[in-house]
Amino acid sequence: MSGTVRSPANPWLVLLLAGGFEVGYALSVGGSHGFTRMTWSLTAVVFFLLTLWALSVALRAIDLSVGYAVWAGIGSVGAALLGPVFFDEALGLTQALWLGVVIVGVVWLKLADQGGRPPEEEARVNEDQPG
Amino acid sequence: MQWGYLAVADIFEIIVAIAAGRAEGFRNRPWTGVTLASGALGTFFLSKALLTFDVGVGYAIWTSAAGAGITLLGPILFKQRLDWRKTLGVVVIVTGVVGLQLSGAA
Repeated sequence: MSGTVRSPANPWLVLLLAGGFEVGYALSVGGSHGFTRMTWSLTAVVFFLLTLWALSVALRAIDLSVGYAVWAGIGSVGAALLGPVFFDEALGLTQALWLGVVIVGVVWLKLADQGGRPPEEEARVNEDQPG
Repeated sequence: MQWGYLAVADIFEIIVAIAAGRAEGFRNRPWTGVTLASGALGTFFLSKALLTFDVGVGYAIWTSAAGAGITLLGPILFKQRLDWRKTLGVVVIVTGVVGLQLSGAA
Protein backbone atom coordinates (compact mmCIF):
# COMPACT_ATOMS: atom_id res chain seq x y z
CA MET A 1 0.00 0.00 0.00
CA SER A 2 1.68 3.17 -1.14
CA GLY A 3 -0.98 5.48 0.23
CA THR A 4 -2.87 5.69 -3.03
CA VAL A 5 -6.59 5.35 -2.67
CA ARG A 6 -7.88 2.20 -4.27
CA SER A 7 -11.36 1.04 -4.92
CA PRO A 8 -12.29 -2.07 -2.96
CA ALA A 9 -12.02 -5.32 -4.92
CA ASN A 10 -15.74 -5.87 -4.64
CA PRO A 11 -17.49 -2.60 -3.82
CA TRP A 12 -20.95 -4.19 -3.94
CA LEU A 13 -19.97 -6.75 -1.32
CA VAL A 14 -18.72 -3.92 0.92
CA LEU A 15 -21.96 -2.01 0.28
CA LEU A 16 -24.05 -5.05 1.31
CA LEU A 17 -21.86 -5.32 4.40
CA ALA A 18 -22.51 -1.64 5.16
CA GLY A 19 -26.25 -2.35 4.84
CA GLY A 20 -25.86 -5.23 7.28
CA PHE A 21 -24.10 -2.97 9.80
CA GLU A 22 -26.88 -0.41 9.28
CA VAL A 23 -29.41 -3.10 10.29
CA GLY A 24 -27.40 -3.73 13.46
CA TYR A 25 -27.35 0.02 14.10
CA ALA A 26 -31.11 0.45 13.60
CA LEU A 27 -31.94 -2.51 15.84
CA SER A 28 -29.55 -1.50 18.62
CA VAL A 29 -30.75 2.12 18.59
CA GLY A 30 -34.28 0.77 18.94
CA GLY A 31 -33.20 -1.55 21.74
CA SER A 32 -31.38 1.24 23.57
CA HIS A 33 -34.71 3.01 24.29
CA GLY A 34 -33.37 6.49 23.63
CA PHE A 35 -29.83 5.54 24.71
CA THR A 36 -30.96 4.75 28.25
CA ARG A 37 -29.70 1.16 28.17
CA MET A 38 -25.92 0.85 28.34
CA THR A 39 -25.25 -2.40 26.46
CA TRP A 40 -27.57 -1.57 23.55
CA SER A 41 -26.19 1.97 23.40
CA LEU A 42 -22.58 0.77 23.16
CA THR A 43 -23.58 -1.77 20.50
CA ALA A 44 -25.25 1.06 18.58
CA VAL A 45 -22.08 3.17 18.67
CA VAL A 46 -19.99 0.26 17.34
CA PHE A 47 -22.43 -0.42 14.50
CA PHE A 48 -22.61 3.33 13.78
CA LEU A 49 -18.85 3.43 13.17
CA LEU A 50 -18.84 0.19 11.17
CA THR A 51 -21.74 1.13 8.88
CA LEU A 52 -20.35 4.58 8.00
CA TRP A 53 -16.86 3.18 7.45
CA ALA A 54 -18.10 0.44 5.11
CA LEU A 55 -20.35 2.93 3.28
CA SER A 56 -17.40 5.25 2.83
CA VAL A 57 -15.29 2.41 1.38
CA ALA A 58 -18.07 1.30 -0.99
CA LEU A 59 -18.71 4.86 -2.22
CA ARG A 60 -15.18 5.01 -3.63
CA ALA A 61 -16.40 2.86 -6.48
CA ILE A 62 -20.20 3.20 -6.47
CA ASP A 63 -22.19 6.33 -7.36
CA LEU A 64 -23.46 8.29 -4.36
CA SER A 65 -27.17 8.05 -5.26
CA VAL A 66 -26.95 4.32 -6.00
CA GLY A 67 -24.85 3.53 -2.94
CA TYR A 68 -27.04 5.54 -0.59
CA ALA A 69 -30.31 4.04 -1.84
CA VAL A 70 -29.00 0.48 -1.56
CA TRP A 71 -27.51 1.13 1.89
CA ALA A 72 -30.70 2.69 3.27
CA GLY A 73 -32.88 0.09 1.50
CA ILE A 74 -31.01 -2.86 2.99
CA GLY A 75 -31.11 -1.17 6.38
CA SER A 76 -34.91 -0.89 6.23
CA VAL A 77 -35.45 -4.41 4.90
CA GLY A 78 -33.12 -5.96 7.46
CA ALA A 79 -34.61 -4.02 10.36
CA ALA A 80 -38.13 -5.04 9.29
CA LEU A 81 -37.11 -8.68 8.92
CA LEU A 82 -35.09 -8.91 12.14
CA GLY A 83 -37.29 -6.65 14.28
CA PRO A 84 -39.72 -9.53 14.94
CA VAL A 85 -36.79 -11.77 15.90
CA PHE A 86 -35.39 -9.47 18.61
CA PHE A 87 -38.39 -7.43 19.66
CA ASP A 88 -42.11 -7.83 20.01
CA GLU A 89 -42.92 -6.81 16.45
CA ALA A 90 -44.85 -8.50 13.68
CA LEU A 91 -44.23 -8.60 9.92
CA GLY A 92 -47.48 -8.55 7.93
CA LEU A 93 -48.12 -9.57 4.34
CA THR A 94 -48.30 -5.95 3.12
CA GLN A 95 -44.90 -5.22 4.63
CA ALA A 96 -43.48 -8.36 3.09
CA LEU A 97 -44.64 -7.13 -0.33
CA TRP A 98 -42.95 -3.74 0.20
CA LEU A 99 -39.79 -5.57 1.27
CA GLY A 100 -39.92 -7.33 -2.08
CA VAL A 101 -40.13 -3.94 -3.85
CA VAL A 102 -36.99 -2.71 -2.06
CA ILE A 103 -35.09 -5.90 -2.93
CA VAL A 104 -36.13 -5.61 -6.59
CA GLY A 105 -34.78 -2.04 -6.57
CA VAL A 106 -31.47 -3.14 -5.03
CA VAL A 107 -31.00 -5.93 -7.58
CA TRP A 108 -31.96 -3.56 -10.39
CA LEU A 109 -29.35 -1.00 -9.29
CA LYS A 110 -26.69 -3.71 -9.02
CA LEU A 111 -27.38 -4.65 -12.63
CA ALA A 112 -27.61 -1.02 -13.79
CA ASP A 113 -24.29 -0.19 -12.08
CA GLN A 114 -22.39 -2.69 -14.20
CA GLY A 115 -21.34 -1.10 -17.45
CA GLY A 116 -22.35 2.31 -16.13
CA ARG A 117 -18.80 3.21 -15.13
CA PRO A 118 -17.41 6.33 -16.83
CA PRO A 119 -14.55 5.55 -19.24
CA GLU A 120 -11.96 7.63 -17.36
CA GLU A 121 -12.66 5.74 -14.14
CA GLU A 122 -12.33 2.44 -16.00
CA ALA A 123 -8.91 3.58 -17.18
CA ARG A 124 -7.90 4.51 -13.64
CA VAL A 125 -9.01 1.11 -12.34
CA ASN A 126 -6.92 -0.57 -15.02
CA GLU A 127 -3.89 1.51 -14.07
CA ASP A 128 -4.28 0.28 -10.50
CA GLN A 129 -3.68 -3.28 -11.64
CA PRO A 130 0.00 -3.70 -12.53
CA GLY A 131 0.11 -5.97 -15.57
CA MET B 1 -41.25 22.14 15.56
CA GLN B 2 -41.42 18.46 14.67
CA TRP B 3 -41.12 19.36 10.98
CA GLY B 4 -38.10 21.48 11.84
CA TYR B 5 -36.42 18.54 13.58
CA LEU B 6 -37.21 16.28 10.65
CA ALA B 7 -35.84 18.79 8.14
CA VAL B 8 -32.61 19.24 10.12
CA ALA B 9 -32.27 15.43 10.45
CA ASP B 10 -32.67 15.16 6.69
CA ILE B 11 -30.00 17.77 5.98
CA PHE B 12 -27.56 15.92 8.23
CA GLU B 13 -28.38 12.61 6.52
CA ILE B 14 -27.58 14.15 3.14
CA ILE B 15 -24.31 15.54 4.55
CA VAL B 16 -23.48 12.06 5.93
CA ALA B 17 -23.83 10.52 2.48
CA ILE B 18 -21.78 13.22 0.76
CA ALA B 19 -19.08 13.18 3.45
CA ALA B 20 -18.92 9.36 3.50
CA GLY B 21 -18.35 9.51 -0.24
CA ARG B 22 -15.32 11.70 0.35
CA ALA B 23 -13.95 10.05 3.51
CA GLU B 24 -12.12 7.38 1.46
CA GLY B 25 -12.73 4.58 3.93
CA PHE B 26 -11.96 6.93 6.86
CA ARG B 27 -8.49 7.78 5.52
CA ASN B 28 -9.48 11.39 4.91
CA ARG B 29 -9.70 12.70 8.46
CA PRO B 30 -11.65 15.93 7.94
CA TRP B 31 -14.37 14.21 5.90
CA THR B 32 -14.40 11.29 8.34
CA GLY B 33 -15.02 13.80 11.12
CA VAL B 34 -17.84 15.41 9.15
CA THR B 35 -19.33 11.97 8.43
CA LEU B 36 -19.37 10.88 12.07
CA ALA B 37 -20.50 14.23 13.48
CA SER B 38 -23.34 14.54 10.95
CA GLY B 39 -24.35 10.92 11.56
CA ALA B 40 -24.57 11.51 15.31
CA LEU B 41 -26.44 14.81 14.92
CA GLY B 42 -28.77 13.31 12.30
CA THR B 43 -29.64 10.44 14.63
CA PHE B 44 -30.25 12.89 17.47
CA PHE B 45 -32.60 15.12 15.47
CA LEU B 46 -34.40 12.15 13.90
CA SER B 47 -35.05 10.70 17.34
CA LYS B 48 -36.35 14.13 18.46
CA ALA B 49 -38.67 14.26 15.45
CA LEU B 50 -39.88 10.70 16.01
CA LEU B 51 -40.98 11.58 19.54
CA THR B 52 -43.88 13.51 18.03
CA PHE B 53 -44.24 12.01 14.56
CA ASP B 54 -45.59 8.53 14.21
CA VAL B 55 -42.38 6.52 13.73
CA GLY B 56 -43.45 4.95 10.42
CA VAL B 57 -44.64 8.22 8.89
CA GLY B 58 -41.67 10.24 10.16
CA TYR B 59 -39.17 7.69 8.94
CA ALA B 60 -40.90 7.44 5.55
CA ILE B 61 -40.74 11.21 5.01
CA TRP B 62 -37.13 11.30 6.22
CA THR B 63 -35.97 8.47 3.92
CA SER B 64 -37.71 9.75 0.82
CA ALA B 65 -36.45 13.30 1.29
CA ALA B 66 -32.87 12.14 1.89
CA GLY B 67 -32.99 9.76 -1.08
CA ALA B 68 -34.34 12.46 -3.39
CA GLY B 69 -31.88 15.05 -2.14
CA ILE B 70 -28.86 12.81 -2.57
CA THR B 71 -29.98 11.60 -5.99
CA LEU B 72 -30.29 15.20 -7.18
CA LEU B 73 -27.08 16.44 -5.53
CA GLY B 74 -24.86 13.55 -6.72
CA PRO B 75 -24.72 14.68 -10.35
CA ILE B 76 -24.44 18.36 -9.36
CA LEU B 77 -21.57 17.98 -6.88
CA PHE B 78 -19.67 15.03 -8.29
CA LYS B 79 -20.50 15.03 -11.99
CA GLN B 80 -21.80 11.51 -11.57
CA ARG B 81 -23.96 10.47 -14.46
CA LEU B 82 -27.58 10.01 -13.54
CA ASP B 83 -29.10 7.79 -16.20
CA TRP B 84 -32.73 6.70 -16.21
CA ARG B 85 -31.92 3.18 -15.03
CA LYS B 86 -30.18 4.35 -11.86
CA THR B 87 -32.87 6.94 -11.19
CA LEU B 88 -35.56 4.28 -11.59
CA GLY B 89 -33.74 1.96 -9.18
CA VAL B 90 -33.43 4.69 -6.54
CA VAL B 91 -37.13 5.58 -6.96
CA VAL B 92 -38.14 1.90 -6.61
CA ILE B 93 -36.10 1.49 -3.39
CA VAL B 94 -37.37 4.73 -1.85
CA THR B 95 -40.96 3.74 -2.78
CA GLY B 96 -40.45 0.34 -1.14
CA VAL B 97 -39.01 1.85 2.04
CA VAL B 98 -41.83 4.42 2.28
CA GLY B 99 -44.45 1.70 1.68
CA LEU B 100 -42.79 -0.49 4.29
CA GLN B 101 -42.77 2.25 6.91
CA LEU B 102 -46.34 3.35 6.22
CA SER B 103 -47.71 -0.19 6.27
CA GLY B 104 -45.87 -0.81 9.52
CA ALA B 105 -47.56 2.24 11.01
CA ALA B 106 -51.02 1.06 10.01
